[in-house]
Parts: sequence; structure tokens; C-alpha cells
Amino acid sequence: MNWTEILSFSRGPLLHISMIIFVVGMSYRLVRVVLLGWERDRASNKGSKLKGVVINYLKGLIILPFIPWVGRTFRRNELTFIAGGLFHLSLFVVLAFGTAHILVWKSLFGLSWKPLPTPVVSFFSSVGIISLIILLVNRLTHPVLKLLTRLPVWINWVVVFLPMITGFIMARHLWFKYEVIFSLHLISVSLLLIWIPLGRISHFLFYFFSRTIHGAQAGKRAIMP
Amino acid sequence: MKSQKTESAINTYLRETGGWVASQLEACTRCGICAEACHFYQALGNPEYAPVWKLEPLRRAYEQRFTPGGKLKLALGLEKRLSDSDLERWSRIVFEACTVCNKCAHVCPMGIELGPLIHEVRAGLTAAGVVPTDLAEATEKQKTIGSPLGVTDEMWRERVDWITDEWEVEIPVDKTGAETLVVFTSIELMKFPDNLAAVAKILNRAGENWTVSSKGREVVNFGYFEADEGLTRLFMHRVFRAAEELAVKRIVISECGHAYDAFRWNAPNIMKVPKGVEIVHISEYIHHLWKTGRIKIKDGAFEAGTITFHDSCKIQRRGGIIKQPRELLQALAGKNFKEMTPNREQALCCGGGGGVISIKEADANRYAVFEMKVEQLREIEAQAVCMVCSNCRLQFVDSLGHFNLPVKVHGLAELVSRSLI
Repeated sequence: MNWTEILSFSRGPLLHISMIIFVVGMSYRLVRVVLLGWERDRASNKGSKLKGVVINYLKGLIILPFIPWVGRTFRRNELTFIAGGLFHLSLFVVLAFGTAHILVWKSLFGLSWKPLPTPVVSFFSSVGIISLIILLVNRLTHPVLKLLTRLPVWINWVVVFLPMITGFIMARHLWFKYEVIFSLHLISVSLLLIWIPLGRISHFLFYFFSRTIHGAQAGKRAIMP
Repeated sequence: MKSQKTESAINTYLRETGGWVASQLEACTRCGICAEACHFYQALGNPEYAPVWKLEPLRRAYEQRFTPGGKLKLALGLEKRLSDSDLERWSRIVFEACTVCNKCAHVCPMGIELGPLIHEVRAGLTAAGVVPTDLAEATEKQKTIGSPLGVTDEMWRERVDWITDEWEVEIPVDKTGAETLVVFTSIELMKFPDNLAAVAKILNRAGENWTVSSKGREVVNFGYFEADEGLTRLFMHRVFRAAEELAVKRIVISECGHAYDAFRWNAPNIMKVPKGVEIVHISEYIHHLWKTGRIKIKDGAFEAGTITFHDSCKIQRRGGIIKQPRELLQALAGKNFKEMTPNREQALCCGGGGGVISIKEADANRYAVFEMKVEQLREIEAQAVCMVCSNCRLQFVDSLGHFNLPVKVHGLAELVSRSLI
């Protein structure tokens, strides 16, 4: 097998199979959780649940990741908040507005939009990679994170880091031949897609449950979420 | 081999795990941010006190039964089944180093309601019988005698009579036709009778048609501390039955945070509650009486230096009664009223709630946490502090004594009653 063949395998069958595993796996997890049943909360409301949910999403998406020192509650957490927030922002910018990724979305969903200028996307991809490294160092040194981190969490880190670093190298045409680095990028993406249903990267889906619950609870009790 | 004990815990976890619990457990990214919100972790630095770690028994039971990832970890030997020694270990963590104050939920980037989930962890441990002895004893007393402090029917009567005489205040007992049933805590009855007398004085002045009940005489709920649903129900049932017999329109929960949480938010979900009976906390009721002009207070009546307000986790952060006590204090103390930081929803818990104060082994934890509160008081040079939970008040009085600090502790009712005009 030469690299051309590897590339056609990884952009063809491998990627397709891993996408199927991803979709099926995540659907299974979603259905499993939903089917566990939901009890109605019969306690009467003090405030508006909807208001709580809306405020909670606005806070969660805009304020929390970037202004960690809102109140003294967040002191001593600045690093995790900022690095974590920047990591997610970078991921979003690169995946949604990088030229190559827009082509992927177009081939998958038939929709496309204008990419951001390359320097902007490269800036964010560097920021994403640096944040991820900072988060790794934090995880290796913080006593609570050391206690919480078992093998699956390390796997999470690796399978997220690999597509980012290979994508970064590829976009800058560094060191490797195109077929080689593109294959490595696609293989690592496949690995990520296969792993997601098994690990905690799936939080992107359950985020919407927990945030809605928290917002609704806060709204119901007439407090700020 | 799983023991009977562990089996009961796991069964409780699996029974309690609906979509509500599961989706939140799934949302956790193990980022550890919740640790920094926890006063026990902050004060003592033990990583095992991180709120997310407190959920471990529940998470393991859930994942190993319901998720492919959890089953895989079990098969590969990366994770073990829960054992008796795990239960012992987590019992110390969730009962002695957690007040279920739910501050962690407010910093969690995913918004996970860690407090209620830790309550479920307690439920499993209680089902397995792994509860700190002091807590179990107090619960047993409430079950058999009717009060966790061991106040019998006779003692209760005598005490109410004594307060009536001593403070020269009328306290109607078992009055049929009353609209409002006020249920006190035995802490107030035995340790802060001034507060009980103050509430009576305020209600009498407002012309409230109220009563206390000799049958529903305890508002504290040790079943709720233990997360024992059967007992939680039983203790609330005693009050609800009294309310039905007296045909009242509302139940006023006196100064107890957990009781307010149980009656206001939990009861309708776990038992039949009397129809059309409103549940209100005494602090919001006093505020209501003031706002509707049924009582009048002298503005600026409090002149004994800087006073601050301590937010209780179940009444403010979880109960939403945030602005009412502040408005009253603002009127009573004017410029002398200063806020601690952080406050309101993000306030620092006193460290004695959730049953912690009743557990002797947790004393060191409790005092360590309180040092952070002392720091907050010092920053604004508070000479007095007011609160609306007698459990918090007990922790304040005891801990201020322990550290030998000259800060005065007041109940809101007591301050209001002294300023009535």
C-alpha cells in the first residue's frame, strides 16, 4: 500500500465507516438517556423557567468562558476558564470558517458559506493547539484533575489533539508530503469520530440537557442561573 | 461478591437514575472547575472534596449498568464495581464535607446541578445504612420522639408556655379556624427562643390569624439530610396532617433552609400535599406583611455598627428569597448595611448545613470552612450579621465562639420585632 492508496482508503471507506459509528453511537447514547424517563416537576414556579434558560445560555456561551472573574466565585479558575473557552472558540472558528472544512460541510449537507481569511483561521488554529497544551499541563499538575483523570480522559486529549496538529501542519504545507499528512489528518479524524460515542467528548450533546435543566431550575426558583 | 449493603446502594442509584440524572452525569467533562467553588475543598484542599468526586458512586453505578463506555471500563478492569469500603469512604465525603449548598452548580460550565445529584449519592449511602452515627441518631430521635433534638410533646408545651411568659407574647396553639400555621424548628425552640418570640410578636402585631400545632411542631427534616425519601415524607406528613386538621390556608416555614427546600420544592414531587395550602418562608412572609402595610418598622432602627446579611444556601441560592431580607435590612440599618463578597446566589455557605453541624466528626471541617466566612466578615468590618436560617445561626454562634470573635448574630425576625412601631 502506498500513500496514495492510504489516502483514498482514509478519505473513503474509513471516514464513512467512522461517521456511521459516530452517528449510530451518539444516537444510541441520546436515546438511551432519553428513554430512562423524565418526571414532571410538580412544585409551582416562583419565576419564569424560560427566562432562566435564556439567561443561562447567554451566560454560558458568552460570559463564562471569557470573563472568569465574574464575581469571586471563579477565582483560582482563570486558567481553565480562559484556555477552555479559547479552545472551544478556536475549534468553532476553524471547523466552521476554514476553507477546507467548508468544502466538507458542503459535500455533506449541500450548504456553504464564505470562509474567513486564512490568516485569521491560522491564528485560531494556533490558539486552539496552545490552549489544548495548556489544559494538558493543568491536568497533569492540578491535584483534583490528577484524581479525576483516568485513561479515557487521556484518550480524549490525544484524539482531539491529533486532528488539530495534523490539520495545522497540512494547512501550512510543512515537512510532510500532501498525501501523507492528509491521510494522517483523516485517520486521526476517524479515530476521533469512533471514540466520541465512548468517551466524554460527547458532552457537546449533553451540554444542552444540563444547561437547560440548570436554567429552568434557576428560573423556577427566581434566582440568577 | 457484592454485599447486601452495596447492593442496596446500587439499587437505589439505578432506581433514582432517570433522564434527569443520566443526562447531567453524561454532560460532565471532568474539568474540575467545581472544586474551586466548594468551600470544603477551598478550606481544606483535599481533592476528594471536589463536588464532581462526590458523585463517583452514582456515576459508577449508572455507567456500569447503562453505558457501553462504562461496561467496557469494567470489562477491561479500568474501573471496579462499588464495594462496602467505597461506601464507607464516600459517606465521610458526602456527609462530612458537603452541605449540599449547590454553589458548584453555579460555576459548572455545563450547568450540572451537582447539589441534587449529591443528594442522590446520600440516598444510596443511607439505603445501605452507611450514615454517620450522630446523623442517624438525630434522625431516629425525630422519628420516634418527634424532634431531632429530642424535644418531647411535654417539653415542647412547657417551652412554648415559658416563651409566652418570658417574652409576654401570645402564641396560639392548635387554634382551629386559623389561616396560618407556623412551624418552628427545635433549634429555635431550644436555642433561639428570642426568634420564636419575635415571630409571634410580628404576627400578632400584623393581626395575623395564626397558630402553631402540637402535632406538626417540627419543621426540620433529618430524613431530607439523609436523603431517605420515606422519612422525608413522614416528617413532612406530620406537618401537612396538622395543616389539614386545622384547615389553614398557608404553612409558614420558620428559619430552616432544608425544611423550606423540602416543603416548597420537594414535597409536591414525592407525596400528596394539601390542596390550596401555600408554602412560604417566614422571611418572605415578614417582608409581605411589611410591604402590605400590616406592620411598620422604624427606619434606621439598627444603630449598632456595620451589619451584613448571610445568604443561606437553601433559602437564598436555592429558594430565591434574595431581595426581601435585603430590603428589610436596608430599611432597618440604612448605610450600616454592607454586603459581603461574594453574595446572593454565589454566596459562601456557612459550612454547617446539610446535617454537617450535627456530626461531631465533621467539626474540624466545619470550623475550617467558617474561617473563610470570618475572612468575609473581616473584609467589611462587620460588627453584626443577620440571617434567616437557624441552622446557619447555630453554626455562626458556635463558630464565632470557637474563634472567639465579637460579631453579633441576629435573626431577621428578631431585628424586625425590635423595630416595630
